[in-house]
Amino acid sequence: MSIELDNVSIGFGPPSDRYEVLKDINLSVKKNEFVSIIGFSGSGKSTLMNLFAGLHTPDKGTVKLNGEVITEPGPHLGMMFQNYSLLPWLTTFENIALAAAQVFPNYSKKELADHVEHYIEMVKLTPARDRKPHELSGGMRQRASLARTLSLKPEVLILDEPLSALDALTRGSLQEDILNIWEAEKCTVVMVTNDVDEAVLMSDRIAPLTMGPEATLTEPFKVDMERPRDRHALNDHPEYQRLKTEITAYLMRLNKEAKELAAASGSQYTMPSVMPKNFTPISGRPSLNNKVSQPS
Amino acid sequence: MADSKVDKIKYGILKVIDVSGFKVFDPPVRLLFGEEPQKQIKDIGRYMVLPILFVVGCIFLWTVIAPTHKTKSGEVPTPTKVWTAGQDSLRFHEKEDEKEKAFFLSGEDRLAEIKEVEALQAELQAEFEKLEAISKETSANAEAETAKKLAPLQKEYDELKAQYKEAQTARKAALTALSDKVAAKQAKSADLVAAIIDNDTKTDAEKGKLKDIKTAMDDIRSNPPKEVKEAQLAANKVADEIQHGKKRLSYLTTGNLSEKKASFVAKAEDAETALAASTTGKDALKQAKYVVSNTEKADKADEQKYPRAASIVWQTHRSLLTVIVGFIIGALIAIPLGIMCGLNKIVMACLTPLISIFRPVSPVVWLLIFQIVVGAFFPDPEKHPLFVFLNSSINPLSYFQTNPAMIFSACTVAMCALWPALVNTALGVSSIDPDHLNVAKVLRLGFWSRLFKIIIPSSLPLVFAGLRISLGVGWMVLIAAEALSSSDGLGKFVWDEYQNGSSQSFANIILACFVVGIIGFFLDRLMIILQRFVSFDESATL
Ligand SMILES: Nc1ncnc2c1ncn2[C@@H]1O[C@H](COP(=O)(O)OP(=O)(O)OP(=O)(O)O)[C@@H](O)[C@H]1O
Ligand SMILES: [Mg+2]
Repeated sequence: MSIELDNVSIGFGPPSDRYEVLKDINLSVKKNEFVSIIGFSGSGKSTLMNLFAGLHTPDKGTVKLNGEVITEPGPHLGMMFQNYSLLPWLTTFENIALAAAQVFPNYSKKELADHVEHYIEMVKLTPARDRKPHELSGGMRQRASLARTLSLKPEVLILDEPLSALDALTRGSLQEDILNIWEAEKCTVVMVTNDVDEAVLMSDRIAPLTMGPEATLTEPFKVDMERPRDRHALNDHPEYQRLKTEITAYLMRLNKEAKELAAASGSQYTMPSVMPKNFTPISGRPSLNNKVSQPS
Repeated sequence: MADSKVDKIKYGILKVIDVSGFKVFDPPVRLLFGEEPQKQIKDIGRYMVLPILFVVGCIFLWTVIAPTHKTKSGEVPTPTKVWTAGQDSLRFHEKEDEKEKAFFLSGEDRLAEIKEVEALQAELQAEFEKLEAISKETSANAEAETAKKLAPLQKEYDELKAQYKEAQTARKAALTALSDKVAAKQAKSADLVAAIIDNDTKTDAEKGKLKDIKTAMDDIRSNPPKEVKEAQLAANKVADEIQHGKKRLSYLTTGNLSEKKASFVAKAEDAETALAASTTGKDALKQAKYVVSNTEKADKADEQKYPRAASIVWQTHRSLLTVIVGFIIGALIAIPLGIMCGLNKIVMACLTPLISIFRPVSPVVWLLIFQIVVGAFFPDPEKHPLFVFLNSSINPLSYFQTNPAMIFSACTVAMCALWPALVNTALGVSSIDPDHLNVAKVLRLGFWSRLFKIIIPSSLPLVFAGLRISLGVGWMVLIAAEALSSSDGLGKFVWDEYQNGSSQSFANIILACFVVGIIGFFLDRLMIILQRFVSFDESATL
């Protein structure tokens, strides 16, 4: 399924106290493409995901799935919420089963249980199968939420920071799982992440979101590396090095611009000025209107 | 391994304590399993021993203060009196049970029971005679004692009286002499005035002294020693039991259901033989009618019920039934309405004026309105099919003697218990986490699954919090409604006791106060437990 944002703008609040979150967003995700959105906190990534999922309707512009305007959410647009949104009165198993039963109404009890069990195993939650959300750790909840979304077998996977609360090892293995599912099911994935490594490792394209308000997507970076990508070999891959540096530099630039803007308008928050240790500026500095060729 | 087993039991017990809300018993259980004994002992001291001491102190204060306040209905009863009143009430209930059993017994059992009761009666009679003798003896002794105490006082009184009379006559003579002298201008008139004043003070003092002695004597007379009262009471108690035994015997013999029936059957048979032997038409008709009427009576006998007198136990059962029925009616109205209010802003807007106006209305007003409105449905309650059905002897609910008053009371309870549940349900439904609704949207849940799988489960904790308040309100309202509508129950029990004003009444009222309080407490606990079961986060509910 291809999904397409066409000049989309959205804001919140009454006219007197309007907050324009996103402005003139253009992005088209092709069938079976993996696109990551990367951006600073509060810039509007979750809002963008809600637009993909059909949970928000844009004030301006259209969100189209396979060329048709999305009017309502549904399980084919499998959304994983940033705050997990597990139902607190249900156990892990029941939470996933409730979702799966809705998509696979014809499954017998046993088939459904097997289906659910499969995803619980995938996210390594089998020991916490019968525990309620408040008895789970933050990372366990995140995995339960991921399992629930994956169990829907959606045509478009919309993941809002799906692995942010996990340790490096679990994170790595779940990255593999998501990639496997993506390859096996031939679904389309839109994922928010704040980890550049993760974005480069997993995506076909990485779209940076500028700082809000009126955040917009700039030209995505194309990740032109053969799959499957080996996370260990990747470190030495020149393309990987290049992208990582480029994106980091780009984000820092965004931060700097935002800072200047904030200083000019007396806005309230600024980002700390941090740099990775191994950061070496490369020639041909990236700019806001970098020209990386779009995949055809 | 044994350790883990013990641990399992321990944590099981602790869990039960936690769920039922009796946290106080936590330290003793832990102590029993030897967990941090010092801490537990400290906790027991703080949270069990101190409160117990405090309550004991309160009871002590009550015991001391109560007799000092005299009221129209006698002294304020002490805890002991209330305790006795409680025991008497229970015995009264037992007696009713015994009589009811006697009423329905038949055949061999009846004969055996008669024998048993007769034996018991003989025993009681012997005991009564013994106690009566003791009572007479103590009272004779006490009288002698009193007489002994009175004799010196009486003597003193008589002596003083004679003495004072003499003194008074002497003073009167002196006064006459003095006044003669004044008239003859041989003495000053001021002296005479002074002498009169002097005489009056002396006379008053003498009168006062005599009165003091009289009061002391009256005191002794009107306050016979405690033993006399106690002996009398003990004898009376046994006399009551004997009386009860007689009643029981009568229910076993002439008043017995099977006996009554048998006598009707016998009469019908007699009439039949007489009918067969009748010679005139008039006689035949009379006998035939006699046969019919007695056969009918025999058939109807099975429907007869034992005319039970209301005991506090029965009244409590009835109150509990009424409050539960009222509460269920209230909840059945409040929860759906509350859900609709929470789901739909228009419904909420429509209902808000009604809720705001009717919620503060006093239960008394509701009771009167229900008496009029609901009363119209039962113009002739005795024959109304509902009550005929509920009170027919085969229906187990006939124990409660349902009547329109009970229905009014239940309706009043429902009306007053409605509001907290309604408001809380509406709040619970409308404050549902939007994230959960988003889940429902993504899953495309239909209206009903959304309602039953997302909305209701997420609002259940608040709904139950509301129901808990409702039940508390309902129980309070019920007692007032029963007192006012004379629907049998604890409220009516209190009202009747207040009206009849016997020596036991005041103690019975205080007894009812405790019964109402303790039952209210347990109802609340029950709701807390239910609330715990439906609440999904571990936030404590108290
Ligand atoms: N329903 C809403 N009503 C009003 N303002 C909103 C709403 N949702 C989001 N916003 C505002 O939109 C902005 C973007 O929010 P959003 O949650 O999309 O950020 P984000 O990029 O996902 O941040 P993070 O990385 O911290 O998750 C924020 O400033 C937020 O205050
Ligand atoms: Mg977000």
